[in-house]
Amino acid sequence: MRWCLALLICAFVATVNALSSSGSRLLVVLDETTEKSTYSTLWSDLEARGYDLSFESPKSDKLSLFEHGERAYDHLLILPPKSKGLGPSLTPKHIVDFLNKDGNIVLALSGKSSTSSAVSSLLLEVDIHLANDRSAVVIDHFNYDTISAAEKHDVLLLQRSTPLRPDVKAFFDGEGVLALPRVAPQTLGSDSQLLAPILQAPATAYAYNPKEEIPSPDDIEATGSQLNIVSALQARNSARFTVLGSVEALEDKWFSASVKAPNGKKVPTVNREFARQLTGWTFKETGVVKVGKIEHHLATEGEVAAEDLNPKIYRIKNETVFRIEVSEYSFDKWVPFEVPAEDALQLEFTMLSPFHRLALQPISRTETSTVFGTQFVTPDQHGIFSFRVNYKRPFLTNIEEKHEVTVRHFAHDEYARSWAISGGWVWIAGLWAVIGGFLAFVIVWLYSAPTVNKVKKTQ
Amino acid sequence: MPAKRHAASSTAAPASTTASLSSGPATLKSNSSVFDIAGHVWQQYTANTPQRTLLLDAFMAFLVLVGGIQFVYCVLAGNYPFNAFLSGFSAAVGQFVLTASLRMQISDSGATSSSKPSSKGKNARFADDEEVEEGISHERAFADYIFGSLILHFFCINFIN
Repeated sequence: MRWCLALLICAFVATVNALSSSGSRLLVVLDETTEKSTYSTLWSDLEARGYDLSFESPKSDKLSLFEHGERAYDHLLILPPKSKGLGPSLTPKHIVDFLNKDGNIVLALSGKSSTSSAVSSLLLEVDIHLANDRSAVVIDHFNYDTISAAEKHDVLLLQRSTPLRPDVKAFFDGEGVLALPRVAPQTLGSDSQLLAPILQAPATAYAYNPKEEIPSPDDIEATGSQLNIVSALQARNSARFTVLGSVEALEDKWFSASVKAPNGKKVPTVNREFARQLTGWTFKETGVVKVGKIEHHLATEGEVAAEDLNPKIYRIKNETVFRIEVSEYSFDKWVPFEVPAEDALQLEFTMLSPFHRLALQPISRTETSTVFGTQFVTPDQHGIFSFRVNYKRPFLTNIEEKHEVTVRHFAHDEYARSWAISGGWVWIAGLWAVIGGFLAFVIVWLYSAPTVNKVKKTQ
Repeated sequence: MPAKRHAASSTAAPASTTASLSSGPATLKSNSSVFDIAGHVWQQYTANTPQRTLLLDAFMAFLVLVGGIQFVYCVLAGNYPFNAFLSGFSAAVGQFVLTASLRMQISDSGATSSSKPSSKGKNARFADDEEVEEGISHERAFADYIFGSLILHFFCINFIN
């Protein structure tokens, strides 16, 4: 018993220490352990953020993403293998299974050597396409580093991008220049809502294999911002899969390098900060949204008693209040969630189709959450309704809440009394005029009886 | 409705005029104007109708007025508390029907009593088989009328909520 308790406390402490919102076991798949030292700053940064790093070679026999049918690791960082494939334990199927079990993956590519077909087929699973020539790199004659790539123009210098849409939260922006040497470009499938670009190539960029001739214009598949340098997939279960085109950008060398754009000044790179943003987002340190308490009740003055909260049944035309508490994870703590300026968190009151779709307004704010709420009148339609909050946005984990309630019709004694409706006064007056007239008639009739009898008798 | 009643009494009028042709004070000629005919009919009606029947007719005219006002109001102002309209209007209509049937019973028995010798053997037998001798008495008819009216009022007040 005490042993059990100790284990429980240990587990609790472990979850408290973990900075990611979804676990701290990180597996790094490296080709050779000698490579490990090239990225030492990245490893120390990750360890400082609370991850337990394990390093494995893709060919290792011990390497397995699953143990007893469960995930053995929470996150996966795959560096490009030198050899042909990723080995028998990292087939595309295993990696997709890992995603389906809520594991998060960063996959780094490199333009130095050609990308293996195993990686290419893995990317096809998530509708990310590599260039036909798998040795192609992104070249830009306007945004390159004049210090390290004066001739080849294959070290891109880019600003971190602001979101493509104004209603999406910015997780990857900031000041400074990003150096991206030898980027393997990706293009995204057009019909997947789960894919989103994190960093696109500038308009002047194009991709080609430096070992070959410049391709003819007909052979170019994509140019400019069609080429993605960093792209992301957030699966339906909110698991994240990020593809980074340039693994070299994570090296110590580029974390501390200084670069100089054509006719620009010499500036240090912000690769280290970008690596933090990128791994932080992928390993669910940012962009994680959590729903706290959900309350709905009849609109009343003052406090609502506990037994009146979240009733199972409402009546048509009831004034109803709905409240939802939403928090967002930001690196190491839960903070109040804020809806981007041009976006709206919406409540739907649905029976098959929404009868109401209302924007939820922030009402109050606690230390770790924002309470959103709205008030509405239940529709003039009885049946089984549900309160639904369906908030799915790029780079944010999905919110899908559904709370069923019954909406009944008026009970016989709940209709307004007719005298309360001024339009009915004429008919009420009519009814009472008839009754009054009847009474008067009866009285007059009874008093008139003798004369009638007399008349009859005389007749 | 009053027009109808006038029409009904005008069809009955020739019989009465022929009956009182010898002794009646005013006579109608074949070329009399419409107003003369109407005035004559009215005179005949007021002169020959028993007082209780007059009372019944006045009450029925009142009910027609009340029902008409309610119906016109419904057409003009809409039927929003529809139960109120139904109950107010049907109270007037129902009361009218009840009063009309009371009038039939009263004037029927009056007719049978007055024309006992002539028509007893032929027509009245089909009308009231059960009470062949004297028809329904006025008191019985009036009690039925009150009973029916109270039921009607009960329902209407309930329904108007």
